[in-house]
Amino acid sequence: MFIFITVGILLFTALVLLVLRFAAPDFRFAWLTAAGGALTAWISVFVWQANLPAVTQLPLWKPESIFRQSPLFIADGTAWAFALSIVTVCLGVIVTAVARENFPTPLSWTGVLILGALGVLAVTADNPLTLVLLWAAIDLAEMIAQIRFVEHPKLSERVVLSFASRVTGILILLWASMVSASEGSVFDFPSAPPRAGLFLVTASAFRLGVLPLHLPYASEVSFRQGFGTALRTVSAGSSLILLARIPFGGVESPITPYLTIFVTFAALYGAWTWLRSPDELSGRPFWMIGMGALAVASALRGNAAGAAAWSCALMLSGGALFIASAESRWMDKALLVGAWGISALPFSLTATGWVSERGGFWYAMPFLVFAQAALLAGYIRMCRRSSARATFENQPIWAKNVYPFGVYIVLLTILLLGFSDWDGALQIGNWIAALAASILAFGLIWLSRRVRLLSPVRAHWVRSADPDWLDAIYQTTWELYRAARRVIHAFSNVLEGESGIMWTLLFLVLFISIFIRGAP
Amino acid sequence: MNSPTIWIIAPAVIAVLLILVRNQRALSLIGGTAAVLLAASAQFIPTEEALKVGALSFRIESSLSVLGRELLIKPEEGPLLALIFGGTALWFFGAEASKSALRFAPLGLLITALMVASIAVEPFLFAALFIEMAVLLAVPLLAGADQPPGRGVVRFLIYQTLAMPFILISGWLLAGVEVSPGNLALAGQAAAVLGLGFAFLLAIFPLYNWIPMLLEETHPFVVGFLLWIIPTITLIFGAGFIDRYSWLRTSPELTTALQFSGLLMLVTGGLWAAFQNHLGRIMAFGSIADTGFCLLALSLDLRLGIPILFLLLPARALALAVWSLSLTILREQSKTMRFGETRGLLRRFPFASAGLVLASLSTSGLPLLAGFPARLALWDALARVSLDAALWMGIGIVGLFTASFRSLAVLSMADEYTGWEVGENWLQGIMLGLGMIGLFVLGLFPQAVQFFLTDLPAMFEHLGR
Repeated sequence: MFIFITVGILLFTALVLLVLRFAAPDFRFAWLTAAGGALTAWISVFVWQANLPAVTQLPLWKPESIFRQSPLFIADGTAWAFALSIVTVCLGVIVTAVARENFPTPLSWTGVLILGALGVLAVTADNPLTLVLLWAAIDLAEMIAQIRFVEHPKLSERVVLSFASRVTGILILLWASMVSASEGSVFDFPSAPPRAGLFLVTASAFRLGVLPLHLPYASEVSFRQGFGTALRTVSAGSSLILLARIPFGGVESPITPYLTIFVTFAALYGAWTWLRSPDELSGRPFWMIGMGALAVASALRGNAAGAAAWSCALMLSGGALFIASAESRWMDKALLVGAWGISALPFSLTATGWVSERGGFWYAMPFLVFAQAALLAGYIRMCRRSSARATFENQPIWAKNVYPFGVYIVLLTILLLGFSDWDGALQIGNWIAALAASILAFGLIWLSRRVRLLSPVRAHWVRSADPDWLDAIYQTTWELYRAARRVIHAFSNVLEGESGIMWTLLFLVLFISIFIRGAP
Repeated sequence: MNSPTIWIIAPAVIAVLLILVRNQRALSLIGGTAAVLLAASAQFIPTEEALKVGALSFRIESSLSVLGRELLIKPEEGPLLALIFGGTALWFFGAEASKSALRFAPLGLLITALMVASIAVEPFLFAALFIEMAVLLAVPLLAGADQPPGRGVVRFLIYQTLAMPFILISGWLLAGVEVSPGNLALAGQAAAVLGLGFAFLLAIFPLYNWIPMLLEETHPFVVGFLLWIIPTITLIFGAGFIDRYSWLRTSPELTTALQFSGLLMLVTGGLWAAFQNHLGRIMAFGSIADTGFCLLALSLDLRLGIPILFLLLPARALALAVWSLSLTILREQSKTMRFGETRGLLRRFPFASAGLVLASLSTSGLPLLAGFPARLALWDALARVSLDAALWMGIGIVGLFTASFRSLAVLSMADEYTGWEVGENWLQGIMLGLGMIGLFVLGLFPQAVQFFLTDLPAMFEHLGR
């Protein structure tokens, strides 16, 4: 029930903002309304703790003979941590909006609140059916928001590509459900068979929002920092929850080692590119790849709590950095709390990150630890780029005072999740790996001033388009597609041409004879 | 008073009277209201029971004899009539928005009455005649009076007409099977001929090439209606055969044939759709794949298959109505409906473009939209039977999704800095808006249509029990 209170507050606030936009376009307190609503929702998430775990069932899908599942929500420790992360980032985005050039943007805040509500529902989904419904809702909302804002036809194409890649994730999850059905069981998170477990990991990876690498936001930095951050965070959170739901033993398969190697490569690629990114917004997709890969690697090791921890860190530490748009006295130092959040040191948010429930992954561990170190080093370097942030010269005094609160509340949540009630709280974890990563990270920072290879690349080198190898993949796919299209058109032309009826009857006879031969 | 008079003769009479009306809005409203009233009465007024209205007491008989033949609408068939007339109402209310009401309302209602007659007539082989009459009536609907019929219309007529002799011959052969049930050769011949008849009627691969041709050359709204009513009635008609003959019902070959043809329809429909550069042809292949879903449902254990089939039908009706109306509106801007001409229309016709994309995604089975619940149940049931078949179904679905994404990409690719405007008139906006809301409602709450779907299997003696 508490789930719907939080969601209700977010949606009600969004509705109020929408009504105000049309009924009173000059209303001066839209930001206050949005921030008030988001803050109330944030507080309401803490109320969940009074009744955990709690299950909420929506009306059953009928006829029950054909629907083996109906929408069902659960508020447990993991869902709570995810929901808190999502609502915190949404609150942070809205509060820090005062310091952005495009202030005020009530429509954008409405979008953030709706996305937040859908994100909370997604992370509380208790079965695959509920999750795919929420994923589809988030995808449609994102797609509409993006199409509304992009101006270039090429960017519109990318919106669709991004939507298609997410829907692919949905289809993979549904396929996992079919694999489970073929074994005679009802597909549920706690009882996912090993064959289906790997599909869950793949579905989650597809939906992480990294394909295409750069989403087609409007080019303004303020938009990318605000709405863009909420968009990336909610889609990542709602996708990664799947990793936290994979049961122990749910990924035991002969191909798990290969998948681990692939994920390790992804982690190294993301972390390395993040380390060398010129700024946090250019490097954001690589942050998602790197952190997402660490979460996937945890899930492959059978460490669901670790996957949840990396996912929350992705949202919160990343969120704090991405929304920090203006220069503030204590901001550089405060943002280091975000670095603590991804350090995996005891009692940090990611303390459970390196716990290995299943052995046998020794070969990947050093590389994954290096990837974490690179992510950490890159994060610390970005935190210290205060000169790149905007100044408060044109902002009113109240904005100057309110803005840091938006970042601080995200950082506070990082600390809170290290200590409060969920599976990943108050953990010591694998402190040796964490310590090694931290020492390596400081080593990388020290070296980055001395070794050119570790220095950030210039901004124009990190293109806001996909790299060449991706272009090559697109090109090849497109060529294959065109070849297949030619074949299909030729076949259609035969059937629809002047002699089409004769050809049709011929094919009919052919198919009947094939069928008769193949029939038992 | 009897049921055939109310649900066959009365709509036919109204249809004839509608020919005299020349106002688009009046035609749309009268046709739509009549269809809604017929649907409501079919759902709520019991037949074969004494009814009392004030001092007046009467009873609606279920049969009517005409020239020695019988039209029989059983009391259990009320929800089916509600589904048919309810679906027809969707098209009639949209007819004004599509600017096609002048011919569509009278002929559409007449076609509906004939299709209802085809499932009511006894002996059943006369159904072929009613279907043929409906097909003939569809020709003036598809081809304008001032232009020769296109190749698609001619082929539609040929293929649908070819179905008639097969159904008639199968009726004759089946009579022989009833007399000597042990004659396996005769049963096999009867099944083969019957199968061919249904293959023509349902436009099973490779007999479906008239559908994309029609959607290239004629009014999408009218074609959408035909693509809904003909397969729907044919499927019910076919299910009636399976229900009637136990040797057919228990035949493993029938299950294999249905699964094979269903997958063939779905995979070819999906893959062909993925490679089209024409919005109309994409809808055509979408509807072909949709028929594939229905055949797959019939191939399952019929205790599961029949409820899934009945759940597929309302989603199909709504999706096709929204899709064809959207396409009709976009066709006014781009006569050919080819991708090159429809680029960026989303910014000028947001409702029509969104309706087209959502209907297409619903047919593909995107969660949250009307098509999803039934497809999920179907996919799940099929996977329990054969994972390979489920994989083929997945391939078809991927093809349909690809077509939806391509349509969306083309419609959204406007030139740089093109502003947003609403090109649809208010009526078109309202009709499409309601249709899109309906797609979401059916997708989220499939139980919403259960009040009339629950009793539908009762129309069969054996199926769905």
